[in-house]
Amino acid sequence: MALSDRDVRVQTLDMSDDLEIINAVRSIISKSLKIPVERLTPDSRLDELGAESLDVIEIVFGLEEKFDISIPFNADEKKRVAIPDDSGEMQFSTIGDIANVVERLIEAKAGR
Amino acid sequence: MNRVVVTGIGVVSPIGSTIDRFWSALVEARSGIGPISVLPTERLTTTIAAQVLDFEPSQHFDAKREGLLDRFSQFAVVAARAAVRDAHLDISEEIAPQTAALVGNAAGGQNSVDESYYKLYGQKSPRVHPLTIPRWMVNAAVSQVSMDLGIKGPAYTIASACSSGTHAIGQAFQLVRTGQAAVALAGGTEACLTVGTIKCWEALRLLSADTCRPFSKTRSGLVLGEGAAMVVLETRDHAMARGAPIYAEILGFGMSADAGDIIAIDPDGAARAMRAALVDAKTNPQDIDYVNAHGTGTALNDRIETIALRKAFGASAERLAVSSSKGVLGHSLGAAGALELAATALALHHQIIPPTANFEEPDPDCDLDFVPNTARNAPIGQAMSSSFAFGGLNAVLVMARA
Repeated sequence: MALSDRDVRVQTLDMSDDLEIINAVRSIISKSLKIPVERLTPDSRLDELGAESLDVIEIVFGLEEKFDISIPFNADEKKRVAIPDDSGEMQFSTIGDIANVVERLIEAKAGR
Repeated sequence: MNRVVVTGIGVVSPIGSTIDRFWSALVEARSGIGPISVLPTERLTTTIAAQVLDFEPSQHFDAKREGLLDRFSQFAVVAARAAVRDAHLDISEEIAPQTAALVGNAAGGQNSVDESYYKLYGQKSPRVHPLTIPRWMVNAAVSQVSMDLGIKGPAYTIASACSSGTHAIGQAFQLVRTGQAAVALAGGTEACLTVGTIKCWEALRLLSADTCRPFSKTRSGLVLGEGAAMVVLETRDHAMARGAPIYAEILGFGMSADAGDIIAIDPDGAARAMRAALVDAKTNPQDIDYVNAHGTGTALNDRIETIALRKAFGASAERLAVSSSKGVLGHSLGAAGALELAATALALHHQIIPPTANFEEPDPDCDLDFVPNTARNAPIGQAMSSSFAFGGLNAVLVMARA
């Protein structure tokens, strides 16, 4: 499958940013779901980890507070989020997806 | 046991505050949802609500009285006065001690809370208005109703979030049925559109950015509303003796608790409340022609409510007409059940089923007859109005044509 512009942009981000974000996501989910952080990988899916809807909105809130961003998450569309000022929606199922959304929103906030 | 009838209806609503305007908007599926204009919106993500826009407190209260009443109490008093007028009821000294007032409410005087906290935290004021507590307290509305109308019998507030209005009318029904009150004013009120409460609702991630589309595949969440509805209940004998107009008879009331999730509706709990109401009404699923559903327009509620209707009605679910009024009224929490009970009584009175507004596309998960967008002339012998609250508190009323 061809890479979209966004995929290219995400891949070219500084590796240390990338790691920092995914580790913060893992840490917030670990605290919320009481799962050891070692068991959380980029492929872990929130639903398979047993996250209920209240857990998910708490995780979203934790990420917003940590990174000072607004995640346009609606509980009715829980598998995707629509990125403001952007053409599309992004997946919101796995830890890797969530890290990508956070990265994209940090970029958008910085005007990148 | 007494037979209990509805003899008066009063509303303050986003679609008008006379019964004619209220009913015609419901029948025509004319939505009261629109851009938020009663509040500064720069800190809100939400841009829509079902606001009461034509309400001018000075038309109803002198300046001294107005200052004592939060908006949620103003709504309740104005709706209660209208219901009493509509019932041609004179609350005489003789009947006053036998008259009850029950008002459902979820959030209390949020406008007073918001104003005082803004002064305190925002403007760093050392003091707040001295009447903040009497405006804010969750029982203020029912107290103001009793004071305004001289009601001296049982009076209290019922707080069960989105079921409050239905619980209040159900309890009033029981008081009149058992003879503990001869007459009751009952309903619900809510005025919760403040920056503070809307931010809290936004945080729950359940609000639609679009509009409220109950039971439609394209539904996208709930839309907050405000308003009040009050009804006059009395024994059928009392109403007949004084030649009062009768909208409908209340046959039964059912309640249940899910004992499950604090947010998500449970199909078994909701179905148990519906079954309990049918049993209390001594009726059968196949005798119910119309259900005014809770139908909030969230993905979860509408799907689970469909399952609950099937559990409660069995094969009779196929012949039911079901509609939600929330596409027109938004979700006014503690007032919602009362506004919807009023809609159900008017449906029985006019023999017209009000439609589900803003319906775009059928959802395979919501596979009942939801009367999309267009009202239906149909014989309605018995009807049900149901509310399922956050916290798993369920309340359901069954009514019959007068």
